[in-house]
Amino acid sequence: MMDNASVVNVARPAVRWDTVTRSLRGSLKGGEYMWAVAFVVPYVAVFLTFVAYPVVYGIWMGSEPSLYRELFADPIYQSSIVNTVLYLALGVNVKMFLALLLSGFFMRPGRWTKVMLLIFVMPWAVPQISTFISIHWMLNGEWGFLNNVLFKLAHIEGPSWLNDRWTALGSVIVAHIWKWTPFWTLILLAGRMAIPLEIRDTARVDGATGLKGFVHITFPLLANLYLISTLLSTIFLLGDFNAVTFVSGGGPANQTHVLATLGIRDAFETANPRLGVAAVMSALPLVIPLVIVLMRKLRTAEVQL
Amino acid sequence: MSTLTRRSLLRGSVALAAAQPFTMPHVAKAAATTASVWFAQGFVQDEDVALRKAVTDYEKASGNKIELSIIPFAPERQKIISALTSGVVPDMIDSNPAELLQIYGWQDRWIDVSDVVETQKAQFSETALVSAQAYNSVTKKRATYGVPIRAAVCPTHIWRPLVEKAGFKIEDIPKTWDAYFDFFKKVQDSLRKQGERKVYGLGFQVTANGVDPYNLFTAFLIAHGGQDIVTKDGKLHLDDPKVKQAAIKAAAYLGGAYRDGYVPPSAINWNDADDNNAFHAKLMVMDLDGTLSTEVAMKEKHPEWYFKDMVTHGIGYPADNAGKTVPSVVVVTNGLIPKGAKNPTVAKEFLKYFIQPKVLGEFVEIGLGRWLPVMPSLAKSPFWQDPKDPHLKGYAQQGLLGPTLADYFVYNVAMAEVRTQHVWSLAMIDVAKEGVKPEAAIDKAFKRIEEIFAKYKTA
Repeated sequence: MMDNASVVNVARPAVRWDTVTRSLRGSLKGGEYMWAVAFVVPYVAVFLTFVAYPVVYGIWMGSEPSLYRELFADPIYQSSIVNTVLYLALGVNVKMFLALLLSGFFMRPGRWTKVMLLIFVMPWAVPQISTFISIHWMLNGEWGFLNNVLFKLAHIEGPSWLNDRWTALGSVIVAHIWKWTPFWTLILLAGRMAIPLEIRDTARVDGATGLKGFVHITFPLLANLYLISTLLSTIFLLGDFNAVTFVSGGGPANQTHVLATLGIRDAFETANPRLGVAAVMSALPLVIPLVIVLMRKLRTAEVQL
Repeated sequence: MSTLTRRSLLRGSVALAAAQPFTMPHVAKAAATTASVWFAQGFVQDEDVALRKAVTDYEKASGNKIELSIIPFAPERQKIISALTSGVVPDMIDSNPAELLQIYGWQDRWIDVSDVVETQKAQFSETALVSAQAYNSVTKKRATYGVPIRAAVCPTHIWRPLVEKAGFKIEDIPKTWDAYFDFFKKVQDSLRKQGERKVYGLGFQVTANGVDPYNLFTAFLIAHGGQDIVTKDGKLHLDDPKVKQAAIKAAAYLGGAYRDGYVPPSAINWNDADDNNAFHAKLMVMDLDGTLSTEVAMKEKHPEWYFKDMVTHGIGYPADNAGKTVPSVVVVTNGLIPKGAKNPTVAKEFLKYFIQPKVLGEFVEIGLGRWLPVMPSLAKSPFWQDPKDPHLKGYAQQGLLGPTLADYFVYNVAMAEVRTQHVWSLAMIDVAKEGVKPEAAIDKAFKRIEEIFAKYKTA
């Protein structure tokens, strides 16, 4: 009995391997299969090196539970969580709402609208680091452009915008909105332009003009695009550190850090890369559901605008 | 004649790739005499010129090759930490910032370079020698992991025209600590009466960025009697009433000056170069800041500033309030060889060449004297003793010939984390902005320091 069982057990993997090989080869034969493998290998190598390895390495670096204990005990981390939530909630939603409204404005016919659109996209087109540094200087309490204008025009001593947590965080959020609203306006503008003219004309005949047309025709057709844009923007913003780094520098007294900038601070300023990775990884519970919802929405987007 | 098939092409390519290392032996030979060196970019171009000259001279003398990368200050720090984390390291780096020596020495990441230091041991200052050491938590011993290259202290920088505009003379500045800094409050008050809306008396870096605020607080801590906060055996003495009182006085003075409007409001967000820029913009009358970067940056562009208007309060700090001399903390830049370096032999040879007094002296002098030499004999050169230069002699006196101390993180790595976590900064800011009493701010800071020290147990 034992012998028979052994024979069966030994033979089983051979059958499986044969099946696997056949399913991998498909209808490819001999040299064709080798060529197929040769073409796939570089892609797999690039994927493993530049996608899988960094992700796995990152997870490994931030895998020690003690790192999270250290992180949660850090008062700067706690305020960074609050800042991140505010940055996302206000930065994304105000920006997307403005983009929705402005995309409607830029749908208006006329040469001046096109000229204004060209001017409007400039903040997005120029390099972000230099513009954020300019904003930082403009907001300087002593010699910044904004306070000098206030003093020259109205003899008002402006506040030190970047010296208070809330005005500094507000400045960061406004800078982000100013920088990225044009991009999302263009995306939503493209969405509006894709709405077939017949639908709009028919709605107009039925009396759906102005706000009514927007509520009953335009917005329902744009809703999916708006949601996908919002999700994408949220994911982008979670990893963005430029606005915070160059506008407020995380100050005053580390009070305006978000998770992305805290990660950089912990990794390089305090020379603790694992803690920095852990700070960024702690955003995963938010990122993963966002990605799942986004993927689902992208699947249904085939039949909607 | 054989025909070229897909298979033969693939076979041939693989064979060619495999044979490559054996067909180019000269590359391997060249690599054996090449060392990669990373160094922080200078604040003035002359510093980079000085470094390049030293490297070129070494290459000529030795026949070896140095692959030199001069990298801006902040990116270099990130690059070093990334390299040490990944394990792919260059052959030599400078300790940027200085405490990297102790932080990664604790983790057993440097090669012992005592044999290199030994070649010039008699020449180095005592402070430089001790600053080259770190405690290794793996071997449970202190060892020499750094080769001292250059040093810096924090002089005070003063605008003579602003002092004079306020109706005072430089000679009027008092010689004891609190009176010295109070003087600049009077200068500000006088300038404000004359309609100067945006000039501040004191350029204190009451910020939680960079290394300046730690250096500033440490100078005040020592001046008020808190020198023994960490002793040479690495022990922490927060229970010493003298230390606590000194910390309270330092937080009270620095935070109080900001609260009372004698420090530019933007100082709370400054990074290391911002106080230099603010000083050049004449936003404040005086600044207490490391190295002579404030002055040498203007030497070429505004020689009248360098030679006439800017005053480095040399020959050390003002005395403490009781009239005793206050030692200056010296921060030393060391050459380091990471474990895993491909060619530590050439790196060591290069360092041995670099620390010869003639080479090292020339290196700091071509760099305009922003940095101090680490050998007292070099400070006696005509360059440092030039009577026509208003800054160099006093700077050398303060950081090399006068009484000096090594920074506390040299004796206990925990102090490096106190520095990077900006514990003192938060105490200053609590007093300056949040209305916290200095005693409470220091209680909070001491609690945090105790937590940090608890993580670093030494044998």
